[in-house]
Amino acid sequence: MMPLMPHVNGYDTPECKTLAETAKKSIRTPTSLGLDRCIQCGACTASCPAARFTDYNPRQLVKKVQENDRSVLESEMIWACFYCYSCNLRCPRNNSPVTIVQVLRQMAINEGIGLERLEYFMEIGEVLAENGASKVPGPGVRNMEKDLGEHWIGFKRNLESIRAELGLGPKDVRNTNGEVRAILEGTGYFEREKWIKGKLQEKRLHEFLNVRCEKNEDKSGEFGFETDREYPGQEAFIV
Amino acid sequence: MKLIENIPDRKLLLFKSCMVSHEYPGVESATRYVFDRLGIDYLVNDEQSCCTGIGHYTDLFEGLTTAAIAARNFAVARRCGYPNITCLCSTCYAVNKEACELLNTNDEVRDKVNSVFREQGLDDLVYEKGDMNPRTNFYHAVEILLSKADRIREEKQLDFAGTRAAAHHACHYYKVKYLDVVGNPENPQLIDTIAAACGAFPVRWYEDRTLTCGMGFSQLHLNKNTSLQVTKTKLDSLQRAGVELMLHMCPNCHIQYDRYQPVIEREFGVEYDMVHMNIAQFVALSMGADPYKVCGFQTHSVPLEGFLEKAGII
Repeated sequence: MMPLMPHVNGYDTPECKTLAETAKKSIRTPTSLGLDRCIQCGACTASCPAARFTDYNPRQLVKKVQENDRSVLESEMIWACFYCYSCNLRCPRNNSPVTIVQVLRQMAINEGIGLERLEYFMEIGEVLAENGASKVPGPGVRNMEKDLGEHWIGFKRNLESIRAELGLGPKDVRNTNGEVRAILEGTGYFEREKWIKGKLQEKRLHEFLNVRCEKNEDKSGEFGFETDREYPGQEAFIV
Repeated sequence: MKLIENIPDRKLLLFKSCMVSHEYPGVESATRYVFDRLGIDYLVNDEQSCCTGIGHYTDLFEGLTTAAIAARNFAVARRCGYPNITCLCSTCYAVNKEACELLNTNDEVRDKVNSVFREQGLDDLVYEKGDMNPRTNFYHAVEILLSKADRIREEKQLDFAGTRAAAHHACHYYKVKYLDVVGNPENPQLIDTIAAACGAFPVRWYEDRTLTCGMGFSQLHLNKNTSLQVTKTKLDSLQRAGVELMLHMCPNCHIQYDRYQPVIEREFGVEYDMVHMNIAQFVALSMGADPYKVCGFQTHSVPLEGFLEKAGII
């Protein structure tokens, strides 16, 4: 049995009869969200960097939401958005695919989808609680070290003395008196983090035990996406 | 639309940015240098925390946590008497502005946030409706610089005449709350106007000018190839436009272009002539600031020495 999702993100994903209702009531989307006013003009897709380089299609995604097609939650497509808000700016009907997709990702997370992606960034929660500041998480640092090489690693080592030379405090640690940690505890963030970790462990155990029995199921639906076809994944998932 | 004449120069809380602090601390020191030179009344307060932006836009933090952290930072700003939150990062700007709007308009969320504060014994953080105004308490440091463009022109000690500079206005400044931007969000000109005040020649339009930097929060890390293709598209366009200096206003975009330009050159077999800096670093340079002790160029990936030599700075 999977542990029950602590509904920490209840305001992001209010329980409603349809995807459209959830999207409209979510605090991730603007109160004036023009989802029902969408005329499928495609200005969002035409403006979208993800649509330009992948098969991501915000116009189609909005249509799926209007049709209450919950298969969209399982599509890789929802993870392609850059959160650049170009569609938000360009939509002539005040719709906002970029914020709708944020709601869809939160709904997918509630169903245990995409947790490996969150795992990559998970360290940010504890770092924020402890230091009051965020940082690139460990797996990201390892990838950046590979890409950026010696110069970047070297300057990171000297960051404290460089900051001092610039007249800034030696380290970016904020003086939050434990208030940030108390807030993360109070909102239930840590419960959510624990749930995600537990769910991932359970998934891995399940995969380990069933590795031979599982079919290679195509979850991409009709939304082809580069990661489904070619993208080999990144080592950095191993946290 | 925000009007330049309404942008304040007093009681500004210069909002610390995590990515500025970790990657380009010179952006903060250059901004402080320029603010000091212009006599702007600002404060940096170490009690202020991260806005949650990185976690929020990688889907890790949900909206309630983001709103509660924002409400705490609003209390910090009000308590110290510097309620005009002025951001170095476009995502801090958007997150704070949106959270303020949410706290003012959604009674249920505000009550929940306040009940979290009370349960945790943090009563002094309680947020009452209207404590902050989403339209008049939130600024980006670039807006402050723009409002002082005439002073910058008077104060400049170096002339960058003939420098072909292009702006990358950050998405989370002008595409999130697009009705509340200085100028036209389809063609933002804030950085261009400030660069012109420093004597540079602003390349005011180039193909794909409004294209995102490609960082995309999780995209750089989880879909790197697509992420860098987006970045490359704009770098290609700037190369065609003969741009030598790309000016930024957000540390995330700055990382994407400055740190990853050499990676793109290597991985895609291309070469670019552009160098990168934040507009505040450029203004500081034009006022005579030290490129390393104030602007912190030693933390940049694309070397600036050629540019600085050409300008007669080093």
